[in-house]
Amino acid sequence: MKASPYLLLALVLTACFTLATGIEPRAGSWSNQAKSNNVFSLLFGDGRRMFANQFFTMADVYFHSGYYPSIFDARKEGTKEIIAESHGHTDSEEDERKEDFLGKPKDWIDRFGRHFRITEHTHLEQNQEREILPWLRLAADLDPQMIETYTVGAYFMCQHLNRPQDAEAFLREGLRSNPGNYEILFGLGRLYYQNYHDTDRARNVWQLALNCWMKQDYQDQRENRLGFEEITVNLANLERDAGNGEEAIRWFQATQKVSPAPRALQKQIDEIKMKMAAPSPAPTNSLR
Amino acid sequence: MNTIWALAGIVIKELYRRKDFYVLFVLTALITIATGMVNFFHDPKIVRYVKDICMLLIWISALLIAIVTTARQIPAERESRTIFPLLAKPVSRWQVILGKFLGCWLATGIALLVFYAFFAIITGSREQNWPWLSYLQAAGLQWAMLAVVIALSLFVSIVSAAPSSTTTICFIVVAGILLVGGHLNSVALNQAEPVQTILYTIYFLIPHLEWFDIRDRLVYDWAHLVPWRDCLLAALYAAAYTGLFLLLTWLGFRRKSLNT
Amino acid sequence: MSVILKTEKLRVEFTSREFRQTAKVALSGLDLEVNVGEVFGFLGPNGAGKTTTINVLLGFVPPTSGAAYLFGIDVRQPIARQQIGYLPEMTYYYKFLTAEELLRFYARIFGLPRAEADKRIDRLLKLVELETAGRRPIKSYSKGMQQRVGLAQALINNPDLLILDEPTSGLDPLGRMKVREIIQRLKNEGKTVFFSSHELGEVETVCDRVAIINQGELKALGRVSDLVAEHQSNLEKVFLDIIGYQPQSTP
Repeated sequence: MKASPYLLLALVLTACFTLATGIEPRAGSWSNQAKSNNVFSLLFGDGRRMFANQFFTMADVYFHSGYYPSIFDARKEGTKEIIAESHGHTDSEEDERKEDFLGKPKDWIDRFGRHFRITEHTHLEQNQEREILPWLRLAADLDPQMIETYTVGAYFMCQHLNRPQDAEAFLREGLRSNPGNYEILFGLGRLYYQNYHDTDRARNVWQLALNCWMKQDYQDQRENRLGFEEITVNLANLERDAGNGEEAIRWFQATQKVSPAPRALQKQIDEIKMKMAAPSPAPTNSLR
Repeated sequence: MNTIWALAGIVIKELYRRKDFYVLFVLTALITIATGMVNFFHDPKIVRYVKDICMLLIWISALLIAIVTTARQIPAERESRTIFPLLAKPVSRWQVILGKFLGCWLATGIALLVFYAFFAIITGSREQNWPWLSYLQAAGLQWAMLAVVIALSLFVSIVSAAPSSTTTICFIVVAGILLVGGHLNSVALNQAEPVQTILYTIYFLIPHLEWFDIRDRLVYDWAHLVPWRDCLLAALYAAAYTGLFLLLTWLGFRRKSLNT
Repeated sequence: MSVILKTEKLRVEFTSREFRQTAKVALSGLDLEVNVGEVFGFLGPNGAGKTTTINVLLGFVPPTSGAAYLFGIDVRQPIARQQIGYLPEMTYYYKFLTAEELLRFYARIFGLPRAEADKRIDRLLKLVELETAGRRPIKSYSKGMQQRVGLAQALINNPDLLILDEPTSGLDPLGRMKVREIIQRLKNEGKTVFFSSHELGEVETVCDRVAIINQGELKALGRVSDLVAEHQSNLEKVFLDIIGYQPQSTP
């Protein structure tokens, strides 16, 4: 008797389903890539990290509204990741000159071509900084171990866009991927202090950041002195603002060990000491 | 002129009866809409990345339509033998070339209009802002650039063996010019002779298609338009190179033996 | 009688780039004249040079030496083709067009006014029996229907000279009969028909004069009746004699 083609089809489908149920539990152990719930890990494996840098650069390009050097433009070493360097301070005239990578036109083609290009150095402002966020999000997805993505993103969300909850969530996501990272902890602490005005929480987080910094090996500590300085000087300011003069002095003194401007810090210490030494005003008696 | 318009009409009809354009448009639309639906940090006002991706897709699609459509015009006519009843009419080879060029250019222009209309709808719905003059400049300059690309593709299709090789060659050349063409002078400065001379020669000879790419101005909401005088000069520049490539095409095609 | 088609010492050589072969002579000093109003058959075995001759007349292939004229105009001028119609052996037309659109396109090339073009298109579609299929894309047509579209486009400009390359190739007997009828009707209207064919029976029926070429050279030229009388046999035998065909002797 000839088998009906539909019966054969049903049998083959059943066989496929049975095999799938048998193989699926074993297949999970074949490759980590297949287990990943991140689409980029699934697609690129560890190769995704090379794209993360590119997306961070895109954020920088967006921050400068397209005025950005290409790989062919002459620029000094260290001008990469301008966004990371610039966040926290405005550009001086010297910075502006440094970032004018175009220079004089080399010929008539170059000169005419500049009529179509963006040739003005600007930074995004007035809430337009939100435009860099998608690229930072993608960079974080592609390389969760790139710390700068979280710190830069959180900075702009807090300081420019007034979105501390999103910044906190972003930093916490970075911390989950990079447990014990002092830079992210420092960012969190700054957020608690400047945005939430939660002194105790900020203090705890900054102290934790400091502990994490101390756990680095000697070589890393030498390279990351700026991190130590930032944490200690912020702790000092926190204690000073909270009225804990002695704690503030202790932190400023710790900062002096690594700071390139110890005299400025000494000035701060002296001011605190003076304030502590000044007699406290007598309480007024309303019955006199 | 009637013959040229008649030939152009056939090319346009072919474009909208083939599926290529619709596939590209649907792909562009889907990717743009999908990109726009992604939620970044709960901020619905973020729009520039959508514009950037949409403009990139428009550029890629327009180049695809221009190059692929043009690359197969004359070779396909020869292969399918439709060129014989055509040239048996009082039609000169120059008219065939002009008709094919005009048809491909107009067809690409129509495609560009549709793409830019879509772009305006998508971005305008988020930004509530329609800088029409910027759109006009961007589309106009891109269309002028595509004239050069189409003329180049026509020329390469005459000398090349097959539409696939024409497409590949043209894509590589156009991509090379767009990405690197404007920087060849910088690269040449750091080279020794004779490489420096060769690079400078190439730099001054190639059509500088990168001038016509003003996507950045649209994406980053650049306030100032390109001066209209510069747009006109760029259009004349494109016309000159287009004429040059069409002339080269005619020189290659006019004495080619066509055996039935 | 005025001459409508003329070749003078027409020579065509093809040089192959591969293997540096010597030039292949496709036509060697062909002298031909076709008069107004006659049906002229152009015969020869495969590779004799018939298609090359037609290619030269239509401007597809430039002659190596010699000249060719249509209506007294050098064939290299596009205007020489203003009053001709051409039906290629293999009929391929724009597959994405309908028959109507194709005819309208060619009418536009000839500069026909819209109203006149519409009238002619209707008449021609009726003539070639495609009036019901005129709005379907050509890609849906059978070979016979494509051949008929070819005939229609060849007649769109009401040509004075029709050049047909194997017009009945691929047609069934009914189709062939219809083509013969059309050729006869054109002749009655005073048109000139120049066609190449392998169907000697047809040629014998419709042609006034024939030319027979072999290996690029003109071997015979004259009225069908004169050639048949001269060789005292039918046209097929005449053809075989002229091209030098020797039947193999049976053991």
